[in-house]
Amino acid sequence: MIQARRHFHEELDQLVGQLTSMAQLAGDAVGKAVHALLSGDVDLADLVVTEDQAVDDLYSSIHQAWLETMALQTPVAVDLRLMSAILHLVVTLERMGDQATNIAKIVRSIEGLPQEPMILEHLREMGDLVQPMVSTAMEAFVRRDLGMAMRLPEMDEPVNRLNRSMAREIANCGRDHDLLEWAVPMLMVSRALERVGDQAVDIGEQVAFLLTGEFQEFTRPDTDDGR
Amino acid sequence: MSDKQAFVRTAVASSPNPDDMPLTSAMETRSLNVFYGAFRAVKDVDLTVYDNQITALIGSSGCGKSTLLRSFNRMNDLVAGARVDGEVLYHDRNIYGPGVDPVEVRRRIGMVFQKPNPFPKSIYDNVAWGAKVNGYKGSLDDLVEEALGQAALWDEVKDKLHQSGYSLSGGQQQRLCIARTIAVKPEIILMDEPTSALDPVATLRIEELIQDLKTRYTIVIVTHNMQQAARASDFTAFLNMDEDRAGRVVEFGKTGDIFTRPEHEETENYITGRFG
Repeated sequence: MIQARRHFHEELDQLVGQLTSMAQLAGDAVGKAVHALLSGDVDLADLVVTEDQAVDDLYSSIHQAWLETMALQTPVAVDLRLMSAILHLVVTLERMGDQATNIAKIVRSIEGLPQEPMILEHLREMGDLVQPMVSTAMEAFVRRDLGMAMRLPEMDEPVNRLNRSMAREIANCGRDHDLLEWAVPMLMVSRALERVGDQAVDIGEQVAFLLTGEFQEFTRPDTDDGR
Repeated sequence: MSDKQAFVRTAVASSPNPDDMPLTSAMETRSLNVFYGAFRAVKDVDLTVYDNQITALIGSSGCGKSTLLRSFNRMNDLVAGARVDGEVLYHDRNIYGPGVDPVEVRRRIGMVFQKPNPFPKSIYDNVAWGAKVNGYKGSLDDLVEEALGQAALWDEVKDKLHQSGYSLSGGQQQRLCIARTIAVKPEIILMDEPTSALDPVATLRIEELIQDLKTRYTIVIVTHNMQQAARASDFTAFLNMDEDRAGRVVEFGKTGDIFTRPEHEETENYITGRFG
């Protein structure tokens, strides 16, 4: 096939490559933040906060390149849909990095407080569920795999379920003020991980738009009680 | 059913399109084939041109865009060896049918060419010429002002109507030719790459003018400039050459759909610069 716009398509490939790097960083940050929480590793948590700058830098770089490409290359059809998806993904991944930072900041604030092992176990489980969702979403994007993208809502269901049960578990901490002081921020951690799962589903929706030209939310609002 | 088919079916069912409005046909081709001698230049075209809409014909060089356009007002009759099979229906009548006067066809379906081609006459006479030839009974002054006004040229030339048409800039000359076309009261205006000889500013003025004209006329435009088709048209037909070098319409649809989600891979490859 003759590539009459070879340089433009190479620019698109570079944007996708940068986006993949950004997703890797954001996904790793979520994993590190959860690990720091579970192990009480404040230094690791501080590192997650520091490293979020790399995600933000990639956001700025991709956004600038995106603007120039739109202005100079006027993409159409699948190229236009790819540009639209890139803009959605870059914002989504930047926010994913912010969720990891939010979790990491909580680690220092709860240092020395008593813990409830069951809550920690459920948060570990949520962390273990959302990280593969991020990699699956990005793999579907890079491989242009609609079937893979459409599996994401199913992967998100247990994350939503665990998040919904978190309020009750925190209430069960009773009247131990120290324990409650630890437990309440765990609700925020749970919410942050649930958002990461949603963000992976959002990426899947963009993959579907890229491949079909049609946009629709995977999870219908009337059945969506977790998002 | 594939994942894509299932997904699109659900998405379409859940998203009614408020832009849909009833359109009426201004012209239709049925199994249209155009030959130059033994060579078939255009193959099996079934295309509808809608009233008061701008239809763009796009495709690579030699794919038959201009040949197809010229068949819409029998301009190919003037080419030796040219022959047409099939029908071009205008007001439910085949313009190639027996008893149809090709001159009358060209009055009702006017044409603007690639290069501005004013007559070696005054601005006034360029516009008034067609009406004079047709025995126009009304006020020629009013007609000239109206046509130049619709062509967005009146304000620039009202004080020099008796200067030569050649004294105008290229962009103004093209608008003069559009005024000349309008002055014989056509219903459809065919435009064959009307801006290819113009600078970017003159090009944008013509594109704006085309948008204004569609309230009164139906317009079909051939363009090599895909961005022009995207900016200036409501519907787009993409033509491509077959192995026998005959041009055919690969895809026809709303311009917004063609440039965001074309149905055919051939269209997508062409407009994104990935030629098969």
